[in-house]
Amino acid sequence: MKRTANGHHTARSSGRAGRVGPGMVLIVPTLLAGCDGRQSVLSPGGADARVLGDLFWVMLVGAVILWLLVNGLFFYVTRINRAALSRRFANGLIVVGGVVFPTVVLGALLTYGLSIMPDQRAPGEGLTLRVTGEQWWWRVEYWPDGADAPIVAANEIRLPAGQRSEVVLNAGRVIHSFWIPALGGKMDMFPGRETRMSLKPEAPGTWRGQCAEFCGASHALMAFEVVAMPPDDFTAWLDAQAASAAPPATEAGARGARIFAREGCGACHAVRGTDARGAVGPDLTHVGGRLSLGAGTLGTTLEDFQTWIAHTGEIKPEVEMPSYDYLADADLADLAAYLKGLE
Amino acid sequence: MTGEHQPRADEERREFREEAESLWRITLAPVTWVAHFVASYGVAAVTCAKAPGLLGAARIGLMLATLLALAVIAWLGWRAWRQWDYRNTGDYTNALGQAEDRHQFLGHAAVLLALISAIGVVYGTLPVLLLDTCR
Repeated sequence: MKRTANGHHTARSSGRAGRVGPGMVLIVPTLLAGCDGRQSVLSPGGADARVLGDLFWVMLVGAVILWLLVNGLFFYVTRINRAALSRRFANGLIVVGGVVFPTVVLGALLTYGLSIMPDQRAPGEGLTLRVTGEQWWWRVEYWPDGADAPIVAANEIRLPAGQRSEVVLNAGRVIHSFWIPALGGKMDMFPGRETRMSLKPEAPGTWRGQCAEFCGASHALMAFEVVAMPPDDFTAWLDAQAASAAPPATEAGARGARIFAREGCGACHAVRGTDARGAVGPDLTHVGGRLSLGAGTLGTTLEDFQTWIAHTGEIKPEVEMPSYDYLADADLADLAAYLKGLE
Repeated sequence: MTGEHQPRADEERREFREEAESLWRITLAPVTWVAHFVASYGVAAVTCAKAPGLLGAARIGLMLATLLALAVIAWLGWRAWRQWDYRNTGDYTNALGQAEDRHQFLGHAAVLLALISAIGVVYGTLPVLLLDTCR
């Protein structure tokens, strides 16, 4: 009895799966249309992502052709020509279709895959970025060619367009994975072990990167903006990043700087050129010039700064920074003005 | 009756025992493949960790190891092909459970294993041919 019941159940569920099939066929093109955009492997902006995109399309088209061949053959022998095959033909089919053909196809794919691997791991042309995955943000160091000290930033990656830059990856406490789908493949980040990749954006543009290895409560909120700039603009930007923070230009900013010092923000955050030298959290020397807050979580309006400072833990669960929700709105506004002014 | 059957049963047992040796023999081609595979991984890993400058020499050494492995597998395959004796008997399936069928079946299996081992060795060599740095 039980076996019959099980069998019945199996038949019913496979029937349901069969009904979903045609629906999926209609949905897939719609979903694919959503694959354009700034975080998609299917709209590459980098040399490495283009190679991977080509690989995807080759595999997809190849798989469709194979599917049609196998199912066409199946259809032919079960519906069109149901006569028994000759022994000789059947044996030939097994040897050619089952041994020679897969061996050649897999050999060709392996050769193709191996031939594109060296490009993915090609050395950089000068600039090296050291990116460390933290919970849940990105520590970023820029090492221009010949530098003996890094230019420290956070939560944003900027690259010179048309050049290959080396990216050396590490992690703080748990594993993460560094992934900019539009620029290249992903690479895991391990505490205490260096991994590396290189990226070559083909033209100036802005994309989004995302941590691709589960790393705790706010894993999904560990993202970053990626900006490829014309090389001259990039050099100018990097020089500006190397400079210390400019003193507050407004009265509100100056009040904000005092609140920043009073609340002890500098114990965790560095603002170069001030007494704030903490290295627990992101370097804020030029936080006002970044394109996102909280590692790709919020925008960068004054309101975003206030919201972030007052409701950190609600926005980003289990984050180490406390929520400064006891600060008066006026104080929060001054703090926001100070930080937004750190461009 | 029993007296007549006893010698025949003994002979079957003796032949079966002999066949145990070619049962071992069919593993030799995959073992060659395994040895080549382990050597490739080991040499590449140790060279890149300890002496990246010697990678060129290591690649040449591994290519020579490939030629050696393929030669060994080809020889084993040739012996197995003769044991299968397909060209004389035309027997593909060796369906009868007699000593000669067992003998030829083990040859048949060894030919197929030699074939797949050769494919494995060739696939395992492709990275040696196509990747020329430790990066």
